[in-house]
Amino acid sequence: MKFGHVSWLPQTEVITKLIEGLKQGKLLGTKCSKCGAKYLPPRTQCKCGSHEMEWYEAPTKGKLITYTTVTSPPDSMAKYAPYTVAVAELEDGSRLLAQITGVTPQTLQVGLPVQVVPRQISQDRIAYEFKPLSS
Amino acid sequence: MTEKVAVVGVGHAKFGKRTDVTIRELAHEAVKPALEDASITTAEIDASVIGVAEDVFAAQASPSALIHDYVGMGNKPSFRVEAACATGSAGVRTGWSLIKAGLAEVVLVVGAETMTHVGTPMATEWMARADDTRWEYPFGITFPGLYALMATRHMHEFGTSRMQLSMVSVKSHKYGALNPFAHSQKEVTLNEAMNSVPICQPLNLYDCCLISDGAAAVVMASEERARKISDTPIWITGLGCASDTMMIAERPNLVGLAASQTAADQAYKMAGVTPNDIDVANTHDCFSIAEIMSYEDLGFCKKGEGGKFIEEGQSYIGGKLPVNVDGGLKSKGHPLGATGVSMTVEIVKQLRGEAGKRQVSGAEIGLTHNVGETGQYCFVHVFKR
Repeated sequence: MKFGHVSWLPQTEVITKLIEGLKQGKLLGTKCSKCGAKYLPPRTQCKCGSHEMEWYEAPTKGKLITYTTVTSPPDSMAKYAPYTVAVAELEDGSRLLAQITGVTPQTLQVGLPVQVVPRQISQDRIAYEFKPLSS
Repeated sequence: MTEKVAVVGVGHAKFGKRTDVTIRELAHEAVKPALEDASITTAEIDASVIGVAEDVFAAQASPSALIHDYVGMGNKPSFRVEAACATGSAGVRTGWSLIKAGLAEVVLVVGAETMTHVGTPMATEWMARADDTRWEYPFGITFPGLYALMATRHMHEFGTSRMQLSMVSVKSHKYGALNPFAHSQKEVTLNEAMNSVPICQPLNLYDCCLISDGAAAVVMASEERARKISDTPIWITGLGCASDTMMIAERPNLVGLAASQTAADQAYKMAGVTPNDIDVANTHDCFSIAEIMSYEDLGFCKKGEGGKFIEEGQSYIGGKLPVNVDGGLKSKGHPLGATGVSMTVEIVKQLRGEAGKRQVSGAEIGLTHNVGETGQYCFVHVFKR
């Protein structure tokens, strides 16, 4: 299983674990055992220099910080266009970039409550995406 | 060791879709007038610094080595700098450093890029890969898309309008039409700019810089050599440089570039000036929103008032602080490696009073602001007559 709409990088440990989590409906990040810094998406080394990282389950609820609808995609994404990419802030304050679906130009707005959910893009590709939080 | 470093020669190639040349001839087209302007030959130059951002665009690995050889620098010391869209300014900073360190007295700095030769889809593809290819690129975010994310947020927080974004483009094209080296030399109306093809909402075609081929070159010298070479040396009095996270989602603030603010603070402090002292500036307007944020980040106006700044005409000649009166990246073009050097050429010409129809009357202090990617690199330089 590969991550995202387009990628060619090797399937490293972070990708494998993140995908395992997504399949179970979980959003996994890593936390530094030394300084406590949290990373979502996950890293195997901390910016403080430590390699002692542990996995944690990140909150999946948040709100939209910003968004853009891409109508002029790079070649590699042409078959998916138009699509909307957004940044959301989750309940613990961490921020994530992903596509958002399930919105219309009328409902798409800054501050929209969203949930991070797994998205099976194709048979061999998976990612996470934002969806409006059903009330 | 020299106290001061000056620019003593400038040269600029014609920016545009240049299928009549490869990167070597294009670079030479900028180097030749720079040497003539300084009235020196390559024999009197101690070293070169060559900026090219992307090998794929030139279809040549180490294009810098090719340029160094082609322009006749022989066996002189040379190396390449790369800082994405800020490559050219990284070259100027490096040239300054070599001279200050005493490793050279006279340095040739060249910035060059061919981008149209590979076609727009491949250029778009490679620029998109300048974002984090593991965690952000796989979602289809593009380079205009990253700035569009900032535009949406800026509009949300400050009420910056679609019309204000387009006003930046109208200004760029007005001045680009007066610049013989500019890629696009035609004016656009506000109506045309507002109603062009959407690229990444809220940005449309006229909010985005052109994909261009181009080159620019400057000769820099120590104080002693500068005074011998030139009657009008333009001194680099302040330099600032900062960086930021690779992932845009990791930033707490999306209505400006923190690296621009930090680099500007350093440059102003070193030069002993404030934003009010700047007479003319070239700022990084890869997208209309980028120019609006630059007004704010560089202190030309308060945060959130960049839209009002362009709407009031403050960045036109005759306004509070003329910005990008060479057409900017938008109209002049943005051949990545060339851009920072091109900005330097423009400010030097302005401070010498040689900018012709685009001259800012009596300009004594100028500024360049060059951003790589979305602030992963940022350089601010202050120049004085």
